[in-house]
Amino acid sequence: MSRALTFRAAATLVARREFGQRLRDRSFFISTAVTVGIIAVVALFPRFTDVGEDSFDVGLLGGDQALRSAVQQQADVAGVEVEFGDVADAEQARGAVTDGDLDAYVDGDSVYVERDLDDSLRAVLQNAYSQVQGSAALSEAGIDPEEVTAALNGATLGTVTLDPEAEERNTRGVVAFFGSMVLFGQLMGYSMWVAMGVVEEKSSRVVEVMLAAIPARALLAGKIVGIGLLGLVQLMVIGALGLALAGGLGMVTLTASMLTPVLLSLGWFVLGYAAYSCLSAAAAARISRQEELQNVTTPVTMLTMISYFASFLAFMSPDSPLVGVVSVLPPFSALVMPIRMARGDAAGWEVGLALGSMLLLIVLLVALAARIYEGAVLRMGAKVSWREALTPDRGTSTPAGK
Amino acid sequence: MLELDRLSRRYGDVVALDDLSFTVRPGQMYGFVGTNGAGKTTAMRIVLGVLSPDSGTVRWQGRTVDRDMRREFGYMPEERGLYPKMRVFDQLVYLAQLYGVARTTARQTAGDLLDMLALGERASDRVEALSLGNQQRVQLAAALIHDPAVLVLDEPFSGLDPMGVDAMAGVLRARVDAGAAVVFSSHQLELVERLCDAVGIVRAGRMVADGTVEQLRGEAARRYRIHVDAGPGWVGELRDRLPGVTVVDGSAPDALVELAPDVDDQKALDTARALGPVRQFTPVRSTLTELFREAVTDGAGDDAGTHAGDHAEESR
Repeated sequence: MSRALTFRAAATLVARREFGQRLRDRSFFISTAVTVGIIAVVALFPRFTDVGEDSFDVGLLGGDQALRSAVQQQADVAGVEVEFGDVADAEQARGAVTDGDLDAYVDGDSVYVERDLDDSLRAVLQNAYSQVQGSAALSEAGIDPEEVTAALNGATLGTVTLDPEAEERNTRGVVAFFGSMVLFGQLMGYSMWVAMGVVEEKSSRVVEVMLAAIPARALLAGKIVGIGLLGLVQLMVIGALGLALAGGLGMVTLTASMLTPVLLSLGWFVLGYAAYSCLSAAAAARISRQEELQNVTTPVTMLTMISYFASFLAFMSPDSPLVGVVSVLPPFSALVMPIRMARGDAAGWEVGLALGSMLLLIVLLVALAARIYEGAVLRMGAKVSWREALTPDRGTSTPAGK
Repeated sequence: MLELDRLSRRYGDVVALDDLSFTVRPGQMYGFVGTNGAGKTTAMRIVLGVLSPDSGTVRWQGRTVDRDMRREFGYMPEERGLYPKMRVFDQLVYLAQLYGVARTTARQTAGDLLDMLALGERASDRVEALSLGNQQRVQLAAALIHDPAVLVLDEPFSGLDPMGVDAMAGVLRARVDAGAAVVFSSHQLELVERLCDAVGIVRAGRMVADGTVEQLRGEAARRYRIHVDAGPGWVGELRDRLPGVTVVDGSAPDALVELAPDVDDQKALDTARALGPVRQFTPVRSTLTELFREAVTDGAGDDAGTHAGDHAEESR
């Protein structure tokens, strides 16, 4: 009637359940929404703080159209925003400046401010004033003001960028940094889910029923793969929404090269998750009650926190030698390397070394976690010591009397 | 035939099982009774392979049980043994698939089982939303989902209301009639007596009595309730006249006496008649509860020190 499942078939069944069950869980949608919300706030934040920095309200007394258009033109060149407020006389203008409705007003040959004049506004007004006064003087000398204006306007400096990709690399670095922040959350959250799943099965004794049917390693493998796939899908959703949001708000220009940091984050998530989830599963298999979970997963959490701070360091001071070391050192590399790679800071051999040592660590952790899980998952009651868990063939699912 | 052959298991210094053996035939319902911590759960977990014995073997149809053969076993652990947040129906189908049952067959069987256990309407509820009694029914369904030839159930009746007990008993009886070997542990001895074809009484990891309830009775001392229409001293007179008679309870007009194995009950009747008209002479059938009390208290002092099995089962 029934045939024995292969290891792979059993693990696939488990993975499918983990994926499907958690996808239907409300907390999955909440956490996705919260993360996207945080990205939105971070993306919008500079817009709010921008107000008042490079935007000025100016009043021009006397209604001089020439001065007004000159100010406008100079403002465009300097990249600042100038709004003109309507003021009828000096009295009203003075009141507006005192109330803060205007940043400055120009009356004759003076500019009036409440306390001090912003440097960029000073440059704009000064240049505009000189231009107007200059062309007035020239036209008095018999030269056509139109020609003067045309001559002056034509004489702007062009800009030649020596490293045209620098800014884009920088933006990629920023995107990768945000990627690492999200990655940190994902690694913490999903390896914690693995730990909680292991303890849930233990505390409800489902594990006894499960292990009567399939091998412990298939259960572990399925759990890690299923939850990890969900994490990857969520990360893709967050990455796509985050990029779309940042692009829509004009934070980054969406180009194909902006996908690079997102893809890097996804790739490093897979590696980082493999390492951290194995550690979490092994730690959680030692206990039988959810209450003890925090206790045993603290070391894993600490490792993740260290990676998190290292990625800050990598963002703030990319040239620090410490960053170079941490970026190749597993498991910290998972959060640090994507930033360096996105910015193009990491040499090829560094990337290779980071990948190689990470993979090596994963191989070791998988073997270790499988062994500890097998040794500890059926021991109910008090916390199982590492040594007990590693002692083979006690309370495992090996056939009787072999 | 399911054979547990000389199973031993220690937890550190604590002996949980000590040379425990018994057999269950297909089509037989076997009741496994014993005080808390006597080793019942340990034995069941060994049968299911979730625990290894220190020594001894488990055989099914003459062959040592391995993982592949265990797919014919169904197991219901004492505690919940279900995913609290999973829907009842999905849970059953999932378990069946893990045992290698095809998905379509699994869905069919899950539906049938839930209908049979009167849980059809709760199929799409999460397990945690069900009452404990209903959770237990789901658990039984989970143990039956792959149509096992051997069923091992740890305390399947505990916490069920009388209707639940009847439903569970009915399902188990149907399985046995269909040829399955069923072992369950229980503290409800009247229930065990009513349902089981054979009973094993375990104490401190050792089997102290094993057989049908009738056989266990046969081993126990015979008791009779006798009423002789004579003066108050007739009981003492009877004991004095016939060696091997012990008075268990002589306070009532009808006395309860125990006869030694070599005493013929007809001779006892004759002796009683000599004392006066005999109004009652009834063999008293001991209940399983009485047999159990005798079995677990007999010489319990001898080995209580070395077999502190209570701790073992409680803490593992």
